Amino acid sequence: MGLPLFDAQSDPGPSFVRFAEMSGLALPPTSSDHSAHATTVVAVRYADGVVMVADRQATSYYVANRDIRKIEAADRYSALAISGSAARGIEFIRLAQLSFEHYEKMSDSSLSLEGKANYLSPLIQRNNLTTALVVLPLLAGWDLAHQRGRIFEYDGAGGCYERHDFAVIGSGTPFADSTLRLGYRPDLERDDALALAALAIYEAADNDPSTGGPDFVRNIFPMIVTLTSEGFRELDRTVSEGVFRSINDRRSESGGVAGGALR
Amino acid sequence: MSNYFYVAPEQLIKDRAEFAQKGIARGRSIVAAIYDVGVVLVAENPSASLYKISEIYDRIAFAGVGKYNEFDRLREAGIRWADGTGYTYSREDVDARALANYYAQHLGDMFTEGQKPLEVEILVAQLGNKFRSTKLYRIAYEGTISDEENFAVLGGDAETIKERFAALGVGHLSLGETLKNAMTALAGPDRVVPVVDFEVGVLEDHGDRRTFSRLDDPEIARLLA
Repeated sequence: MGLPLFDAQSDPGPSFVRFAEMSGLALPPTSSDHSAHATTVVAVRYADGVVMVADRQATSYYVANRDIRKIEAADRYSALAISGSAARGIEFIRLAQLSFEHYEKMSDSSLSLEGKANYLSPLIQRNNLTTALVVLPLLAGWDLAHQRGRIFEYDGAGGCYERHDFAVIGSGTPFADSTLRLGYRPDLERDDALALAALAIYEAADNDPSTGGPDFVRNIFPMIVTLTSEGFRELDRTVSEGVFRSINDRRSESGGVAGGALR
Repeated sequence: MSNYFYVAPEQLIKDRAEFAQKGIARGRSIVAAIYDVGVVLVAENPSASLYKISEIYDRIAFAGVGKYNEFDRLREAGIRWADGTGYTYSREDVDARALANYYAQHLGDMFTEGQKPLEVEILVAQLGNKFRSTKLYRIAYEGTISDEENFAVLGGDAETIKERFAALGVGHLSLGETLKNAMTALAGPDRVVPVVDFEVGVLEDHGDRRTFSRLDDPEIARLLA
């Protein structure tokens, strides 16, 4: 690639996607549906931010990957999670991360959280309306201007909706969503929010064959991420192990019964 | 019939060079220097928002003197090139030398074929790692590219500032000392330039992927103390 210089009329500005399309770097996606799918991520708002938990399994007709990462830092203060086509999803995260950084370098200021959320809409729309490889992301972050954690979810056509309580994406959604609906309170503290989000993933894994639960044999545990005034933070594997072990112990004690005092 | 005057190529090149040099000499200079653990870029710049020093990529910074609109467009093209290359291949494949060569080609083309030469002088700095070494590439208005050792000075007053800076100390000093020397060299013996009129950018490893940061006035004051 030579030096990408543009005149004032054709300049793509600080948008990496526009630049990538103009210079032929981003190819239009083509269609095929024998690919791995990434599943079930939850995000829960609490007093000082957002906690996200994601299982680690990618599934095609069988388990394609046991330790895939479905949440990545989009930048210092936001995280992107993916469900749907793993191939397109990972590409989507790469493009989003680069777009935010590109904007920041080009214009010497970072995009607002809402700006980031809106920027993703047409990307999702374009991907989902032109291919069978549907991607549904989830954006969560700490809004520096308004000093609070925020969650944005998307529909298949790219519509962006802010959620004030929690959001779920992926094939385990019915089970994770029900768990969150029953357990969510607006005044959750971090540890309670974390335990609730983990329980939602546990339930999804228990009922949805495409969602992977805690893997005590291989020591692979769902990913846990927090977004607070300190930014994106991925919690240690041992934290996740502790949280899921305690859910698992309770569930063993109750003989697999999800309801009641041992929930 | 249009009037056509013969101009000798030597004269043409000389005129163009003079034109570019005059434009560049109107602005203030920049010093870029390698210190013990990084690269510091120091510009005299009374504006707090129109920057002369910028981040290009994880370990690459840019500095420009001369006409702002001209070097800012080069800065943008550099960011696009770097982000595009890293996106197509890998972040590791973004190399300052390749970018410096593209800049040199473009400046060279503009000098010989453009309506007018660009009135800019730019610098591409790279912070080294296991695979690459720390580099300062200076690219002049006519496309001459030079790989500078230890430090580089851009701008009309470059030769004098270069001498002053070299006289203040050799070898890779600490950030504070290097910064102080750069500011002293830029100001010269007869002027006192307040700290707020300096723009400082640094490439230094702090364990993050991106190594560029701007130093604000309190940080500069702390380093100078």
